[in-house]
Amino acid sequence: MERRNEILNLITKKPGITFRGLARELGIGIGDLQYHLRKLEKEGAVFSRKIGKRRYIFPKGFEEEAQRLIIAISTESRRRILLLLMNGPLSQKEISEALGLSQPTVSYHVGELQKLGIITAEGRGRSVIYSLNYDPETIARIIMEYRPSVWEGLADSLIDFLSGVGDGE
Amino acid sequence: MMSMEVVLALFVLMLSLVLAGVSFIAYKKSHLRPALYLLVAFLLLAIKKGVELLQLTQRIEKDVGLVIGGLEVIFLLLFVLALWRR
Repeated sequence: MERRNEILNLITKKPGITFRGLARELGIGIGDLQYHLRKLEKEGAVFSRKIGKRRYIFPKGFEEEAQRLIIAISTESRRRILLLLMNGPLSQKEISEALGLSQPTVSYHVGELQKLGIITAEGRGRSVIYSLNYDPETIARIIMEYRPSVWEGLADSLIDFLSGVGDGE
Repeated sequence: MMSMEVVLALFVLMLSLVLAGVSFIAYKKSHLRPALYLLVAFLLLAIKKGVELLQLTQRIEKDVGLVIGGLEVIFLLLFVLALWRR
């Protein structure tokens, strides 16, 4: 029971931690961890979501947040934009130059991230400055563990191409 | 023994299905309408190739020229629609 509480505490402290991350940080054997996680999921104390090739574990009550995060990091460009914004607020032009993406593509992705509430936009003079509006540690943890499949990589390229062609409406 | 024509048609059919799959993932992730157009376009291309394949292997005796032509037109129109700058 103590072990289970330890697992639950870590998941609450680090929402979006992966199975591997949990095993590594707690130094628990895989079988043992699987057993306790199954129990915790059954009790409804935690839930998991598969993103890319990894399964992320979230505490109860994090359902809506988890959904937002999953959508936010679902494409490569969004992940790169989020990682870039961790260094500080930037304008659309600066993001576009730093990542080598077209301005319409950046505009589409920052728009989506803004809708999700993960970033905020603030008008400064003639340009709009974007900054992170979410716990950077959680975002960094989820992005670093993210392993997209080949198909997702191809789909991400298609999204960037299509968002660069039109306005996406 | 399969003729080269059949092998190529099978390859095109598989590739169109793969591209339809990629478009589907892209649409699911982004809800971009052009991705949906591409999904339908690649599915139509797969259907078109399927019909051609059936004719090549003589499982269809009827003339399917009109059906194939129609599918080609719709495929190209959907492609243009996906790339249309709005």
